[in-house]
Amino acid sequence: MEDIKAYIESGILELYVLGDVSPAEKLQVEEMASKHPAIKAELEEIERSMELYAAENAIEPTEHMRDRILNSLVVNLADDNNFPTKAKPVKNNVVTLTPPKQNNFYKYAFAACLALLIASVVVVVNLSNKLDNANTQLIALNSTNQHFTSTVKFMDRQLSVYRDPSFKFIKLNPTVHAPNTASIVVAFNPEKKKVILDMANVDMPKNDKGHQYQLWAIVDKKPVSLGVFDKTDADSVEMKEMGSVVAPQAFAVTLEPRGGSVNPTMDEMMVIGNY
Amino acid sequence: MTRRSKISLSEEELVSALKNREKIAVEALYDMYSSSLFGVISRIITDTATAEDVLQETFVKIWHSFSSYSTEKGRLFTWMVNIARHLAIDKLRSKDFKNQNKNQELENNVTFIDEQRNTVYKPELLGIKDLVQTLKPEQKLILELVYFKGYTHVEAADELGIPLGTIKTRLRMAILQLRKHFN
Repeated sequence: MEDIKAYIESGILELYVLGDVSPAEKLQVEEMASKHPAIKAELEEIERSMELYAAENAIEPTEHMRDRILNSLVVNLADDNNFPTKAKPVKNNVVTLTPPKQNNFYKYAFAACLALLIASVVVVVNLSNKLDNANTQLIALNSTNQHFTSTVKFMDRQLSVYRDPSFKFIKLNPTVHAPNTASIVVAFNPEKKKVILDMANVDMPKNDKGHQYQLWAIVDKKPVSLGVFDKTDADSVEMKEMGSVVAPQAFAVTLEPRGGSVNPTMDEMMVIGNY
Repeated sequence: MTRRSKISLSEEELVSALKNREKIAVEALYDMYSSSLFGVISRIITDTATAEDVLQETFVKIWHSFSSYSTEKGRLFTWMVNIARHLAIDKLRSKDFKNQNKNQELENNVTFIDEQRNTVYKPELLGIKDLVQTLKPEQKLILELVYFKGYTHVEAADELGIPLGTIKTRLRMAILQLRKHFN
């Protein structure tokens, strides 16, 4: 009992009530209080007297403090989970999600594109073939056209020669060396000194490769070469312009070695005609 | 405006109501203890607005940490007044409060001087006239320092230049005097 008395008188209990003890001392006091009713009673007394002392020193807070503090606590009350919370109406706003529809669009689109591509290729190939044909035809037509153009040109020339009143036409008749049917028509324009051979009107035997016909003009009884020409299988319609000559008395054609001769081979004179 | 009648419960009823988080318990708690707690806080913090803030913080803390209180550890008021004293002392030592005091230095000095000369009328101190006569000056001083100014007994011993043992004895004597007075 002496120990307990000494413990009480040490002043530790007062410090305990005033909160002025270390955590270890605090535990010790609490342990002692639980063991010894006298200590517990002493503590009670100290607490009660301090409480009364505080009540003696009480200061009434202003009236508005009550509302202020209670409101702040009520706000905290409202925060407290212990209070029953108002059941929230269950909003049935949960929508069942339907699985997204299988989107075949791209599949079909791809197939369509492929089909279109194949069709396009076929069309292009076809068109290309047609274009080739058309081009070939065009070239053929062009060449035909050129042929016709040149023919027309030739015809024009021929016509201009035949229509030109200044041209004289001299028919050369066959000699003994030529067949009876042989004949040549020479067109001569004294004003322009032009000699033109209408190959369509050359009725002569065909010459071989080694020989050519040579046209001569007889001027002052001397032969003047006016050029060579061929008589081939093909029907030549050329208006062949020969060398020019002034005042010829006659025209004659001889068969000469290819390329022509300086002087005519009189034995081979085929046709002759006087101007 | 008629004065509202205060709610009063026995300590057992109050504690159990607080444990059940009843709203009436909060009102009873305030009505029963706010003035005692505000008295203690006001002795530590002289600025009324700050003291009111601390009182509010005290009740909020009591409410939130009430589960940590148990009747075995002692009376409810002892637990609450220690919360109030700690909050008040923390506030007093906080940087904000110190800065605030610096800014109001002159004004505070005037109030302090007035207090020294007892020229300020303090109605709250009227009731303790008997008590003041009961306590010896050195007992009053030790209670003042430890209970109201937040000194630890070690700090009080330093402040007064008295051995620790003497401080403890004086404190015990002061409280014994109070006990005698209240009985």
